[in-house]
Amino acid sequence: MTTTPSGAAGTQHGAAQSADLNALLFPTRDPNLEVVTSSRLTRVGARPPFATYLRMIWQRRHFLWAEARAKVASGSRETLLGQAWLVLTPVLDGLVFFVMFGLVLRANQGVENFVGFLLIGVFLFGFASRCITNGSNAISAGKNLIKAFQFPRASLPIAVVLREVLNLGITLLALGLLLLAIPPTENWTWRVALIVPTLALLIVFVTGIALFMARLCAAVPDIHRVISLVMRMLMWGSGVMFPLTRFENQPGLLAVVRANPLFIAIDMTRAAVLHGVTPPPSQWLAMTAWAVGTFTIGLVFFWHAEESYGRA
Amino acid sequence: MDAPDDPFATATVAVQNVHVRYKTPSVDAAERRRGSLARRVAQRVMQREPQVVVRALSGISFVARSGEQIGIVGQNGSGKSTLLRIIAGLERPARGQVLAEATPILVGVNAALIPDLSGVQNVHLGCLAMGMSPAEAEASAPDVIDLARLGKSIYLPMKTYSSGMGARLRFAIATAARPRILLIDEALATGDAAFKERSEARMQRMRDEAGTVFLVSHAAQTIEETCTRAIWLNYGRLVLDGPAADVALRYRKWAWAIAKDKPDEAKRLIEAAFAERRETYVRVDEPMPHRGYRPRHAPPSHAKHPALPSSTKPNRSER
Repeated sequence: MTTTPSGAAGTQHGAAQSADLNALLFPTRDPNLEVVTSSRLTRVGARPPFATYLRMIWQRRHFLWAEARAKVASGSRETLLGQAWLVLTPVLDGLVFFVMFGLVLRANQGVENFVGFLLIGVFLFGFASRCITNGSNAISAGKNLIKAFQFPRASLPIAVVLREVLNLGITLLALGLLLLAIPPTENWTWRVALIVPTLALLIVFVTGIALFMARLCAAVPDIHRVISLVMRMLMWGSGVMFPLTRFENQPGLLAVVRANPLFIAIDMTRAAVLHGVTPPPSQWLAMTAWAVGTFTIGLVFFWHAEESYGRA
Repeated sequence: MDAPDDPFATATVAVQNVHVRYKTPSVDAAERRRGSLARRVAQRVMQREPQVVVRALSGISFVARSGEQIGIVGQNGSGKSTLLRIIAGLERPARGQVLAEATPILVGVNAALIPDLSGVQNVHLGCLAMGMSPAEAEASAPDVIDLARLGKSIYLPMKTYSSGMGARLRFAIATAARPRILLIDEALATGDAAFKERSEARMQRMRDEAGTVFLVSHAAQTIEETCTRAIWLNYGRLVLDGPAADVALRYRKWAWAIAKDKPDEAKRLIEAAFAERRETYVRVDEPMPHRGYRPRHAPPSHAKHPALPSSTKPNRSER
C-alpha cells in the first residue's frame, strides 16, 4: 500500500508526473489517494457502546456535581439575601399553604395534620414535575454546551435532575422545620429515615422519564409544550391535594392512581413521616419496578439517538 | 513513537467526502411561490416559511498529519466553522465521515462557561468538562491562569470580562488538557499582541508534540504567518489545499479582486485555483476483525477474504 504525502511535496510531485499519456488524454489531474487505517483513527462523534457510554457518564460525575452546585448557587446571586432564598422560598411556600388551608379555609378533607399532608405532596410533586419539564428541555437548553464540548449527551438531563435534587435537599430541610413548628406536631420515629430510599427511587424514576422525554423533545420540540399540561393533569392523579377516599366509588380510577409512581412515592413519604409506619412491601416493590424499568428504558432510548443531538 | 516510515503513523485527522446540509426556513418570496398549492395553503395557515436546503459543505476530503498547522480560509459563510464543528464531532455530516486519532478539542467563540462564576471557578469547571479528575483540574489550574494572564481579573465573575479576556481564558482552558488535535475558531483574533505571542508558542509546543492544529480565520495574513498548510473554502467547496503561503496568497488576491469589485478577475483567479487542485480520495482500510478460530479447510493465506472494503468514496466536484 503506497501513499502520497499531502502538502507541498505531494503537489509538486504530482505536477511532475502529470505529463504522462493519461494526463494528455484526460484533462483532469490525477487524484491524490490517501489511505488511512481505521485501527488508529476512529470516527469522531460516534456513538460509543452502551457499557462505554455508562463509564463515560460516570467519569463526568465531578463535572456534573460541580456544575449543578454552581447553577443552584448562581440562581440567587442577584438578590440581597443571596443563598438564604434557597431555604426561604420553600418555607414561605409552605407558610402560604398553612395560612390558606390551616387557618382560613380550615379544610382538612378528613385528614389529621392536613397541612403536613399537603406540604409533602406539593413539595415532592413539584420536584418531580420540575425534573421532568426541565429535563425534557435539557437538549435545547444545553445547546451551547453541545456545540462546544464532546461529552455523553445524557449528562445534560442528568445534570438537570441533579440540580433539582440539590434544591430538594434544601426544601426537605425547610419542610422539617415547618412540620416541627406548625401544630399538630408529629411524634417522630426512626421511620423518618425511610424517606431516604423512597426519595432515591423517586429520583431514579424521574431521571428515566427525563432522559426519555429529552430525546422526544429534541426530535419534536412541540412535545415540550404539552408536558406542562400533562404534569398538571398528573397532579390531580397523584393525590397531592386530597386523600384517596375521594376516589372510593370509582374503583377503576382508584387502581390507576394507586399504580401511579408519583402517588406511591408521596404516599410512602407521608406514611413514614406523618404516620410513623413502614410503607407496605407492595409499594416498595412497585416503586422499585417503576424506577429500574423507567431508568433502563429511558437511558437506552436516549443513548440510541446520541449522534443526533448536535443538530438540535 | 511509531516508525517514521510507516505511512499510517502520521495521519491524525481524515476527512472523507463530507457533505453537510441544513434545512432552514426562508422568507424569500421566490421560495414561497414554489411548491404545490396544498403546501402553500398549509404554510399560509400555519404561518410557516418554506424550508430551503443550504449546502454548507459539499465533498470535502483531506488528511491532516501530525505537526501540521492547517489554516482554513474563505469568505463569510463559506463553511469554515461548519467544517471545524464536523471535525470536532459536534455535528454529524449528511454524507461521509471524519476519522480522528484522538478527541479533537474546539476552542469556540461561545464555549459554555458560566458567566456568574469567577474566572478561577470557570477554569476548574472547564477542566472538569473536558473529562479531567478534580486532582488533574487542580494541577493544571496554575498553568491555565499563567497562559491567560488576566491578573486580578481572574477572581472576578466572567460576565465582567471583555470579549478579548473571555477568548484568552477559553483558549487557555482548551489547551490545558494538552489535546492532540486542537481546533481554533477565530479565537485569537481578539487577543492583544502579547497574548498572541504566548498562544502561538503554545500551539508550536503542541505541534512539536506531534499534534495537529486547525485555525479558522478570514485574515489570510495570520494563516500565512503561522500555518504550514492552508485550505481555501468557497461556498462549501474545497478550492485549494496546499502550502499555506501559496494558498493564502491566492486567496488574498481573490479577496482583493472581490473587494475592488472586479468579478471577472476574481472568477479567473478562483478558476485557476480550481484547475490546479488535485482531488483527494480518502480510503479507509479496515483491518480484518480477528475471528478467534480458523476454518479447518481454509488455506493458510488470506485468499478467502473479500478483496477490499469498498469504503472508497471518490470526491468529485461538479464545476
